[in-house]
Amino acid sequence: MHAVSVFDLQHGTVALGGRRILEDVSVTVDEGEFVAILGANGSGKTTLVRTLVGLNPLAAGDLRVFDTPVRQFRQWPRLGYVPQRLSVGGGVPATVGEVVASGRTGRLSRFRRFSKADQAAVDHALEDVGLSHRVGDAVTTLSGGQQQRVLIARALAGEPEVLVLDEPTAGVDADSQDTLAGALGHLSNAGGSVVLVAHELGPLASLIRRAVVMSQGRVQSDGPPPQPDPHHDHPDHVHQHPHADPPSSSTFGLDR
Amino acid sequence: MTILAFDFMRRGLIAAFVVGLAAPSIGTFLVQRRLSLTGDGIGHVAFTGVGLGVLLRTSPVLTAVVVSVVGAVVIEIVRERAAASGDVALALLFYGGLAGGSILIKLAGGTSSALGGYLFGSLSSVSDGDLAVIVTLSAVVLLTMALFLRELFAVCQDEDVARVSGMPVRFLNLLVAVGAAVTVTVAMRTVGLLLVSALMVVPVATVQLVARSFKGTLYGACLLGSVMSVGGLVVSYYADVPPGGSIVMLSLAAFLVAAVSRKWVRA
Repeated sequence: MHAVSVFDLQHGTVALGGRRILEDVSVTVDEGEFVAILGANGSGKTTLVRTLVGLNPLAAGDLRVFDTPVRQFRQWPRLGYVPQRLSVGGGVPATVGEVVASGRTGRLSRFRRFSKADQAAVDHALEDVGLSHRVGDAVTTLSGGQQQRVLIARALAGEPEVLVLDEPTAGVDADSQDTLAGALGHLSNAGGSVVLVAHELGPLASLIRRAVVMSQGRVQSDGPPPQPDPHHDHPDHVHQHPHADPPSSSTFGLDR
Repeated sequence: MTILAFDFMRRGLIAAFVVGLAAPSIGTFLVQRRLSLTGDGIGHVAFTGVGLGVLLRTSPVLTAVVVSVVGAVVIEIVRERAAASGDVALALLFYGGLAGGSILIKLAGGTSSALGGYLFGSLSSVSDGDLAVIVTLSAVVLLTMALFLRELFAVCQDEDVARVSGMPVRFLNLLVAVGAAVTVTVAMRTVGLLLVSALMVVPVATVQLVARSFKGTLYGACLLGSVMSVGGLVVSYYADVPPGGSIVMLSLAAFLVAAVSRKWVRA
């Protein structure tokens, strides 16, 4: 049986501010796949995922989302998107619960009240990222890694069939990386698709079945993920990053 | 209370109350997006609308609504395009608005005291007709904000995410811009065009010092805004100062108290 393709980009070219960022890129993601987009800084990873979710217009090529041309696609709540952010933004305070619940908004029609099912989805998303106990706290009181988990919970609250994440592990402490891997594992096991941009895979490595490697705006390779150092997936291996602990919102996010 | 013996004061107090309620409801979203100065810009543009109204001998409130809505839409379009020169373009628009207004009012034979009324508010200037317009438009702003609260919160949190989840982001942004323009014009009579933005922003800035949630900030700011607005008007009556000045000074004092007491509580 032919699987439904979640994203089908054919010969996509994207130019931003007069500069060509993507050049003749073809990528297809089928339902249930777990794909990592890898590559150096400036290789076009972020532009690629932003294009897949419809945020960047195509200068040339075709994009189909759930087998529908992107211009005619209307079922956007089937997608969840986690952009690369330094922190949960804004000048006005908001609680963890409020931010996560806002991920539900796309699914609600204007006059429908927030139902028990909506609340259950929010609770479940918070549980998945291990932040249920912080639901009433202001997001700004959370660490960088926890804020990243809030952003992921916001996307999960919409109960998406496909989750697209841009550098979800950048500047995130080891604990949060493990929690994140757990949450993405749940989604994947339940038949969901995941597309994520990553610098290094860390605890996500065991989940990834396919890696698209970008280089200078083109697809360099597409296939099984590169094998990590053998000691990396040893159970006793402690994954440490010099920039990971403790994260503060002023020290990362410069490359967004 | 003698203050309620005068018709113009009763009208003024009602106007101050509804404006104090409506202005922070828009202001919360402006502060959230770090666009606190948008209201000031629209106020400058609205001044041309006032001048136009005086010149055409129609209601200045009405022409100000039209001109500032157009101005707000232009500002929003410039913001969306976010060209490198975006902030210069906005500055030019603001200066044009103020300059245009001053010329039009002079051409119409207006005096500088009439001008002061529009810039800093005036107690006696709210007529019955004005009051009806002010109450109606404030109610429309409040209802619209309530109706679209969920979407507006999502858009102000993260425009990209809202767009991906299928929300009409441009429409919602324009809604805030137009809402801000309407609020500026209805608040013009009480606080004046140069200080209207303070009524949108200062209550929000004050409440967010102590609030944890967005809803708490929003409701608290509306409550505080209406109290400051009415209180400032009362001060204006007894101290014989322009209401815009007393309303904003009172709001700033509340901000100071909140900031200092928060430091104390934390220390």
